[in-house]
Amino acid sequence: MVFKHEQLLGKSRFRSSYDAVIIGGGLHGLATAYYLAKDHGINNVAVIEKRYIGFGGAGRNTAIVRANQRTQENLPLYQEALKLWPLLTRELDFNLMFYNCGNLNLAHSDAAIKSLRLNVSSAQFHGIDSRLLDAKECKTLVPALDISDRPRYPIFGGMYHPPGGIVRHDAVVWGLARGCIKHGVHIHQNTEVTDIGVKNGKVEFIETTRGKIKTEKVLNAAGAYSAALAYQMLDIRMPISVLTIQAMVTQPLKPLMDHVVSSGAYHVYANQTLKGEIATGSHMDPWPNYTTQNTAYYIKHQAEALTELFPCLKGAKFMRIWGGLADMTPDMAPIIDGNDPVEGYFVDCGWGYFGFKSSAVTGKYMARFMATGQCPAILKPFTRQRFEKHRLMGETAALVEFSPNN
Amino acid sequence: MKRLSQLPTCRIDPEKKVFITYRGKSYQGYEGDTVASLLYANGIRIFSRSLKYHRPRGLYSLDGECSNTTMAIDGIPNLRTETTPARHGMTVKAQNVVGSPEFDLLGIMDRFSRAMPAGFFYHMFHKPPSLWPLALKRIRKIAGLGTLRHDFVMQVRFDEIYPHTDLCVIGGGPAGMSTALAAADQGLQVILIEARPWLGGIFDYRPAKYLDGFSLHERAGVLSQRVTENKNIRVFLQTAVVGIYPDNQITAFQVGGRPDAYKERYVEIRAKSLVVATGCLERPLLFENNERPGVMQVGCAHRLARTWGILPGKNAVFCTGHDLGLEAAIDLFDLGMEVLCVADNREDGQDAELVAELKKRNIPFYRGWVAAKVKGKKAVKAVTISTVSGTRRRDIPCEVLVASAGLTPATGLLSIAQCKLSYDNHTGFFLPVNLPERVYASGRMLGFHHPLSIEISGRLAGLNAAAGCKETTNGLRKEVEEQLATLPGPPLGSKWVSPPGKGKKVFICFDEDATLQNIDQAFSVGFEMPELIKRFTAAGTGPGQGGIPGHNLPLYVGQSRLPADDPPSPTTVRPPMVPVLLATYAGKNLDMSKRTPVHDLQISSGGKMERVGGWRRARYFSPDKSIREEIEAVRTSVAILDASTLGKFRLHGPDALKALQRVYVGDMTNIAEGKVKYSAMCNDDGCLIDDGVVVQRGKNDYFFTTSTARAGGTIEWIRFHTRYDGWDFHLVNLTDAFGVINLAGPKAREVLERATDSDVSPEAFPYAGYRELLILNTIPVRVMRLGFVGELSFELHVPASYMITVWKILEETGKPWGIRNFGLEAQNILRMEKGHVIIGSESEQRTTLHDLGLGFLWHRNKPEAKTVGAAALKHTENQKGRLKLVGFEMEDSASAPPRDGSIIVDEKIRGYVCTARYSHTLNASVGMALVEDRLSSISERLAIFEDDCNGKLTYARVARMPFYDPEGARLKI
Repeated sequence: MVFKHEQLLGKSRFRSSYDAVIIGGGLHGLATAYYLAKDHGINNVAVIEKRYIGFGGAGRNTAIVRANQRTQENLPLYQEALKLWPLLTRELDFNLMFYNCGNLNLAHSDAAIKSLRLNVSSAQFHGIDSRLLDAKECKTLVPALDISDRPRYPIFGGMYHPPGGIVRHDAVVWGLARGCIKHGVHIHQNTEVTDIGVKNGKVEFIETTRGKIKTEKVLNAAGAYSAALAYQMLDIRMPISVLTIQAMVTQPLKPLMDHVVSSGAYHVYANQTLKGEIATGSHMDPWPNYTTQNTAYYIKHQAEALTELFPCLKGAKFMRIWGGLADMTPDMAPIIDGNDPVEGYFVDCGWGYFGFKSSAVTGKYMARFMATGQCPAILKPFTRQRFEKHRLMGETAALVEFSPNN
Repeated sequence: MKRLSQLPTCRIDPEKKVFITYRGKSYQGYEGDTVASLLYANGIRIFSRSLKYHRPRGLYSLDGECSNTTMAIDGIPNLRTETTPARHGMTVKAQNVVGSPEFDLLGIMDRFSRAMPAGFFYHMFHKPPSLWPLALKRIRKIAGLGTLRHDFVMQVRFDEIYPHTDLCVIGGGPAGMSTALAAADQGLQVILIEARPWLGGIFDYRPAKYLDGFSLHERAGVLSQRVTENKNIRVFLQTAVVGIYPDNQITAFQVGGRPDAYKERYVEIRAKSLVVATGCLERPLLFENNERPGVMQVGCAHRLARTWGILPGKNAVFCTGHDLGLEAAIDLFDLGMEVLCVADNREDGQDAELVAELKKRNIPFYRGWVAAKVKGKKAVKAVTISTVSGTRRRDIPCEVLVASAGLTPATGLLSIAQCKLSYDNHTGFFLPVNLPERVYASGRMLGFHHPLSIEISGRLAGLNAAAGCKETTNGLRKEVEEQLATLPGPPLGSKWVSPPGKGKKVFICFDEDATLQNIDQAFSVGFEMPELIKRFTAAGTGPGQGGIPGHNLPLYVGQSRLPADDPPSPTTVRPPMVPVLLATYAGKNLDMSKRTPVHDLQISSGGKMERVGGWRRARYFSPDKSIREEIEAVRTSVAILDASTLGKFRLHGPDALKALQRVYVGDMTNIAEGKVKYSAMCNDDGCLIDDGVVVQRGKNDYFFTTSTARAGGTIEWIRFHTRYDGWDFHLVNLTDAFGVINLAGPKAREVLERATDSDVSPEAFPYAGYRELLILNTIPVRVMRLGFVGELSFELHVPASYMITVWKILEETGKPWGIRNFGLEAQNILRMEKGHVIIGSESEQRTTLHDLGLGFLWHRNKPEAKTVGAAALKHTENQKGRLKLVGFEMEDSASAPPRDGSIIVDEKIRGYVCTARYSHTLNASVGMALVEDRLSSISERLAIFEDDCNGKLTYARVARMPFYDPEGARLKI
């Protein structure tokens, strides 16, 4: 069984004009480019990436996918996203390695159970499989859990969401890139967008480190850099704080955890990758910054938290930690918008640390938005203007303060 | 095997035997042995099977650069036996084998390598779709290295310490020791960290000459003694540095020795200056089957003999690219190993003396020759050496192949410390450039090789570090700098990478079974940057942290893909530098919860404690969690609640009022003397973030309370929102200085009266009043008359040190009325019956003050205050389509209340239940919910969808709140 190595990343000529330009070679950018070409026949498209594809959040996340969000504005998008992975695997002819192991979200108080019940009820109302388990059922599902009274936050129960799991993040990046190339999209790595030219309220061109590109449509999908880019180039302000989020893996182990397990009280989530590493992460550093530096505190905290939930993991070793950037909005929901206030300017950002789960489906609808000029209903709740109207979405119950000015 | 324990360099104690069990057999070694050296001495050559191809793997390095010798010890998987001291009674198991390491059933995987090129997973197993779930199961089983049982219990203890120091030196070799000594002589406090159990580094095991007839080994002893005796130097042995963070925060872990009460301890150091003197690793030599058991690095072979008294084999071929290789060959020959030949990939540049010594021993020496291939399946049988151009080849049967391409500085920690590394054409090293402030490097990692150069470079670094710590070094630095300039500089390094004639199994990364062919495959799919290649081939992502591929990968990429003039660039190294047990990171894992002053009383009264934020609080006072009696006591008699977790603050100074006006939505200008003012704080979206009461205790002197959750953030909040104003006020957090007792119930006054001489009659102390009283004529307390639970109640703010006393007094004076405790759950129902909200329970990030029906708290006529959230409150005042807080009562009075978090639906979700309970007081199931405004009018029917209801909805009607005592008469008695 031998296959030919085909190019995942073609070398494209740099054109001076494209029908659409995508800023950012991450998952959202690549997915949008892919669907523009595939679904809408717009293949004179360039993806402009400052470093290399998948450099940012696309390659730094912990690859968890699920559809058990809190609000009905979010649920349908994530629900469709979850169904898309197997379809996309077939369509791209690239194994995205969707591992449908299910997610268990632990609760450590009655208040947390209440909060999970809202999610579970909302999911069930939308026909999504999600249910509440008591502590014993959690233990049956995940035998390594300590459900005794010993931990500082004893386990009260959990939200079990069987359709979720993990997807190989690099595979999605490369699969989409290959799909883009196949459909004639150009991917320009090591190229930085330096300006967006606007005339009479319309996008006219962009400037890059490799020259000017004439285009009428631009998507800002620059992840953590989106807000700065929008502000510097178009004077558009977005309520986004950029924070470092860290994740890490243990040395590879034989199968030990068969689910994605997370806990809000302990600020931890963990799953075992196909390679056998326990991948874990959770909260963000509490101060905004644009570095991906690690902190001594974080890895120690993670060890403390994990070994509380899973005492056996005291015998595992952390092997590697890394950092990524999360572009957080005050309501932990993304900003997806277009033609406002500049015609031809679209934006898909503010995903914080959930950008992976719905990347492909968002790209699909974003492509429709860019191709038709009509915002698909599923994306409408995410407009930038909701912040000006003080109409936050309720993706988390808790008030979010990334910095005191949020 | 007979051990060479008489060697002066040997670290085993032949008097103390150690036995460990491996594969059911007991093996003998000595104290001082590592698990790997003990097994090797007993003839074990295959330690593990590789991750992907299940190839046999043996001892290759001795400092854990790869996972070849990782094994499970006493149930803990993936331990590096080459750095784990052998302890009597250990049970060691091989990993990732089906059968035994020698006969592994999955060894067959090696034959399918053609089917497993780089990235093969992405192209396989997904067609047809039904195949994938089955393949997945198989892949999971095959993947992973060691086994950790889900019921594994770590039996030993762990510890953590946080020392501070002037200078931290990483590396206890000649450079590090010289650094430490030089700095200590300047008066600095120094921490010296060494990963091995002894100091000495590259000098430790070598009998080669130093100066004046001394050997390097003897010199190591001298330096080590000086360091140990120096009072300014604290030495950490067997301590591996794993992370370096900004401002010289260094994390490490120390392996406990015999007298230590811990197995390992986490060490987090803060240092003013940092010197990295970690020396060099060997750069692996790439050739076909370069990881067969029997192939090992020069240092490994040499130290095996010199440190552990084990000859690596009967005979060996040496293929090397640096003088240490020649030195080792000579020394091992002298120790009794047959050296069949020495091949050196350098055409010239060798130390002439060493070459002469080889000649003296009749050891054939081949300049410009390298290993091209190893023959043998489970052990080295023969090696094919070749000229570097590949024109001539020769097969030499042998037992051991000692191989290394060259040296490479151990820059991993510098990379972690965010140093820039740049390729140096002379040494072939990635050398640090632009080191961060107060970070220095010294010794071999800068390319030095001559023993004196190493030491003097160390000395210079020590003086630089002293200067960095603001110590004056009186021109000494310049002197030493000049001295260093006269000594031999870094020698020319070997740049040899690709073998002559490419093989199929040339491993660039052992841990991930990544071959040169895999790297080429990555090139062919379009990945040309080392970081992307790393991701695509996984090279360098294994437990060895790039110790094996770290240098070869960028060099190979550079030679294969970059224009001739472009320097290669190294890949990122990430912490931890060495894998660390989670147990070690967790350390003592102390529980940091806060306790109120009456914590123990709460427990002795039967309180069931739960974590609430950082606190522990009593939720129930009955084992069965029934709270009926607690509620009845409050409603009909009297009960007390420990509310000490409330935030308490003093705000005073000329501009105190302005600050209050900024953050509170209410008007604070006229708080009457002896009165409390209830108010709320909002964020910029007008959402409720806090509520509490404010009292004015004097001119410009306020005392206010916040919710428990906000106590921690209040000072920051107020400071932040007044940061541009330059106002003069003081803000003091008194949360821990005062305990709070809520004395509630119709008999509360009687109880209080008996404890104080002050007049607490309704006339003297009306509802919403504030008084400062003395309890039993002695203890000053601040008392507020409030009514959160809907009854007459006094909130006593008691100096924390008096809390227990006052608590007991009230219990005593309350006896006639059967006073008892009530907990949080009782309070939850009591306040719900009264329609009072708890932030976070009836509010969330979307709910404004208006949405909660608390809009009346907003004083709109103070624009000059620029109150936080005022603009949003104005904007959202009449906004349609928002969620509003309503009370509801179940339609069927017999039906149980819906569980909290159930949703309210029609064809869409319209809201959710915040709190609902059966109320004994009202004999009804009532609750509060956030619902869309159009469903918020009284008597509106709400359809409730609870999880697992199978479509069977329950119904409630919106009801007027408060449910209990709507006129508020009970508060005013």
